[in-house]
Amino acid sequence: MNTSPRVAINGSPTVLVHAKGLRKEYGSGEGLVRALDTVDLDVNRGEAVAVMGPSGCGKSTLLHLIGGLDRPSAGQLSVAGQRVDQLSERALAHLRRDEIGFVFQAFHLMDELTAQENVELPALLAGCTPSEARARATALLEEVDLADRSRHLPSMLSGGQRQCVAIARALANDPEIVLADEPTGNLDSASAFDVLRLLEALHAKGLTLVIVTHDERIATTADRLISMRDGAFVDETWLTGGSRGRLDTFADWERLT
Amino acid sequence: MQQEVVLAMLAKEPSHGYELRARLGRALGPVAEGISEGQMYVTLTRLEKGGYVARVDAPAERSDRKVYCLTPAGQERVTEWMSDVTWPRPDLTEFHMKLIAAAQSALADPVSIIDAQRRDLLRRLREIGRAVMEEQKDSDAALLLEGIVLRLQADLRWLQACEMAWTKRRTQQ
Amino acid sequence: MKSKQSVMNQPRQARRARSVRGRALLLSRLVRRDIRHHLAQAILLIVAIAVATATLTMALALNGVTSHPYLVTRAATKGPDVVAYLTAASQAEPLIHASGVAASSGPYPVASAVLHFDGRTAGALIEGRSEASAGVDQPEVLSGSWLRPGGVVLERTFAEALGVGVGGRVILNGRSFEVAGIAVTAAQPPYPNLCWATAIVSLKIKGGFAQQFQGACANLNFSAEGPRSVGLVWMTEPDLLGLASKANPILDYALNIKLDDPDEAQAFADTHTFVPGQSNYPVLSTWEGIATADALLVSDERGVLTPGSILLALLSIASVAVLVGRRLSEYARRVGLLKAVGGTPALVAVTFLAENLVLAIFAAGIGLVAGWLAAPLLTNPGAALIGRAGAPSISPSTIVGVVGLAIAVALVASLVPAVRAARSSTVDAMNDVARPPRRRGILIRMSRKLPIPALFGLRLAARRPRRAVLSAANVAVTVTGIVAVIAFHADVNSKLSTASGLAAGGLSDPVVNRDEQMLVVITIMLVALAVLNALFTTWASVLDARRSSALMRALGARARQVSSGLVVAQALSALPGAIVGIPLGLGLFKATVKSGSLPPPLWLIATVIGTLVAMAALTVVPARIGSMQSIVEVLQSEAV
Repeated sequence: MNTSPRVAINGSPTVLVHAKGLRKEYGSGEGLVRALDTVDLDVNRGEAVAVMGPSGCGKSTLLHLIGGLDRPSAGQLSVAGQRVDQLSERALAHLRRDEIGFVFQAFHLMDELTAQENVELPALLAGCTPSEARARATALLEEVDLADRSRHLPSMLSGGQRQCVAIARALANDPEIVLADEPTGNLDSASAFDVLRLLEALHAKGLTLVIVTHDERIATTADRLISMRDGAFVDETWLTGGSRGRLDTFADWERLT
Repeated sequence: MQQEVVLAMLAKEPSHGYELRARLGRALGPVAEGISEGQMYVTLTRLEKGGYVARVDAPAERSDRKVYCLTPAGQERVTEWMSDVTWPRPDLTEFHMKLIAAAQSALADPVSIIDAQRRDLLRRLREIGRAVMEEQKDSDAALLLEGIVLRLQADLRWLQACEMAWTKRRTQQ
Repeated sequence: MKSKQSVMNQPRQARRARSVRGRALLLSRLVRRDIRHHLAQAILLIVAIAVATATLTMALALNGVTSHPYLVTRAATKGPDVVAYLTAASQAEPLIHASGVAASSGPYPVASAVLHFDGRTAGALIEGRSEASAGVDQPEVLSGSWLRPGGVVLERTFAEALGVGVGGRVILNGRSFEVAGIAVTAAQPPYPNLCWATAIVSLKIKGGFAQQFQGACANLNFSAEGPRSVGLVWMTEPDLLGLASKANPILDYALNIKLDDPDEAQAFADTHTFVPGQSNYPVLSTWEGIATADALLVSDERGVLTPGSILLALLSIASVAVLVGRRLSEYARRVGLLKAVGGTPALVAVTFLAENLVLAIFAAGIGLVAGWLAAPLLTNPGAALIGRAGAPSISPSTIVGVVGLAIAVALVASLVPAVRAARSSTVDAMNDVARPPRRRGILIRMSRKLPIPALFGLRLAARRPRRAVLSAANVAVTVTGIVAVIAFHADVNSKLSTASGLAAGGLSDPVVNRDEQMLVVITIMLVALAVLNALFTTWASVLDARRSSALMRALGARARQVSSGLVVAQALSALPGAIVGIPLGLGLFKATVKSGSLPPPLWLIATVIGTLVAMAALTVVPARIGSMQSIVEVLQSEAV
């Protein structure tokens, strides 16, 4: 089980996400909804963290806060060394562009752009030259095994393929961390499997991941599994470490012996 | 080793014990790791005693390399099994009683038991997940592993429901 | 999965150099693709803006359309720099020998007369000339020949209005004369503005004689507003003296002066106009003043085209706003996506506006070309001048103005959605969390008692108040335009029928003709744009209400009830718009035509009713089509 974290380079942080006392509330008075209730979280470089829970438990809210898509009501939040709760809109946008890759349940690809152009999008936003962006996008599409579909529009791709393009896009600017919000939520089991393999492979290469999911299968690919309910953490399970379980016990279980 | 399984494998052709073990290994993949040849021979012996299987001494072979084949009784049992629709019942009753007994006797906290079991299942799920990755996509073993994964997921969901129910009971007391 | 040359294993790159090319490529890509993807909407947007810009181009092209031909005419006829109207021939001497005078011709006697031809009557100002060529102001004969005894020459516009040609016979003060030729001159403004220069110069005279007219013009009984039915005629001096009688004395003498320095014309006129101690004094008009009078022919046109183009600009803003509004949720989603992958708010706003700006500039180009092509139809300088205006010059300021208008339209129409989209929360935008329609208790209670179509319609209108307001605004602008145009038509008609008007004499009025031409053009464009606009609005409303309609039908309402409900919803927002549009239209009319008569109230009421009926009709078709769609399809498609 490969758990060696990436070596810190030139003092770049090994704790990529540091949240303390994080709160997110909507409304006020009678209509106050507490989506996140004082949450503390640390994610190390190279770690894969899965967050599970029933709908409405706040797991998506947490992910949106970490990704800088929303601002916390209270608490501290540092991502890739920057205090997200204190950044301006512009700085937040730069953070999202350069350090964070986001993968959505609904893929959210631009329908008018080809797969290649979708993957190039963040690179061009970041100021790459067209040729640099093209090279990077081609390499990433190769990585996710969709090089032959680079000129296809999203409407011509299956759900699983679209999500793989979305993941490639999330990697375009070589982010420190990739956040995935129910990446297999809109996929059938076969496509979900493909996405699962991809995420596993990326994690094996050292990518830091935070995945929100209701699918236990996806969740158990992570190093750490956090369960949430009503806006708070209720359980944390380390899935790695310890000896490898004996598969032969399944033989007992399945009444084969 | 479930007897019907061995009988059904013999329906193809008479085989050595080690051949059966090999075929089992190919069909089950990593799940067969815990099944030894010895266990196979134990089952074969039982079946022989029951009259479902007969030993055929290959004339040119050494005496310890016995070949087994189906008897008519064995054939009949296999045919019946093929059309049998009994589905192995997942055994949740035991765990359910464990929780109730723990609560009634105050021996242990049911929620802690559930959490521990859940963690264990999660780790198993992780292992099976990895095994699935390593198998060939459409192999027999992969199909079996898929079934195990789905069952584990179902069990995990039930454990989640148990946890919510038992936590509520705890706060109500 | 390729693991050897993994992109992930490559070392993180140092900060990339900021490349403008990359961002420019991204922007152009997004704009191009989106336009291609929604080609119909792009075309509609271009049409909407092009109509407004074409009108403005034409309005601006009329600038100085007569100035060039006037100069040509002046050169060809040896036009004077100053024209003096004297009450006695003796007044000519001091002027001829005044300093700065290079040459002169005259003084020529001027008399007034009544002209009859072919049942038409008009006034005539007759100048007595010699058959020989004059040194200053020799009218250029365009057909026929110059004077001869018994043969007169008519100014061209006058001749066209009368319908008389060379060889025809006209009756002047009872005597018959043959038309020897038709000519143009730069020394007098053409029919029907012949006495205009005189009147304006009179107004400039100090000492309270503003309303007094000299000589012949005064004799023909004109007011400052109506010196119209008078044309210029030349005849030989002996013939003129023969016409003069006690009843028709020679009242004026015209003296044409050429100065050393033409630019000194106004100064010269100011110096010599007032002669102290004399109750009758010469009236001097300058060539610039006459040129301005020549331009009166087209001034009305410009007076109509300029507010017309503003009106069309408003309509095109409304059309663009509706077109943009239709795709709000899609824009919101795209904005959310761009923000999520790291686009700054500035970039997001730019991508949103860029597309519409590109289309607007393209539309401006089309409008410029269309206006340039159509302008010659309007820039005919009129029969009074020779030389065409030539291809209307599109000056740089015109281009700037037209492009500016197009950009302004696009910006105004897109601004609100752009700002709203840029400021919305990224998450909400991407998940297309629709703003829930506001519940208005009163309306809901009220609607309970109504029949189903009315109930449905009322609730629909109340669900999306902003859309209803936009719809009402569209109708208001349309009605404003229609009412203004109707008022113009009525005014023109009334001018044609007043006894003091030219029509009394049976002559055609070239100015009014051009006015009518103008009005027809404006009316057509207004109606076209209004219909397009109404189509956008109704179609958008029907599509907006598709889900509610499907639900209603699923719950048991009949298709016809549902489509009637849509019509009611449309009418509810159209009615206030139509009512507001009437005073606005009349106000616009009043502001442009200072003294016009208002159209009869019946026409106004008919406009309101007509608009409502039109809106209803335009809603019915898409509503019926919409209500025939499969309920399941609609509900499912919206859910995705």
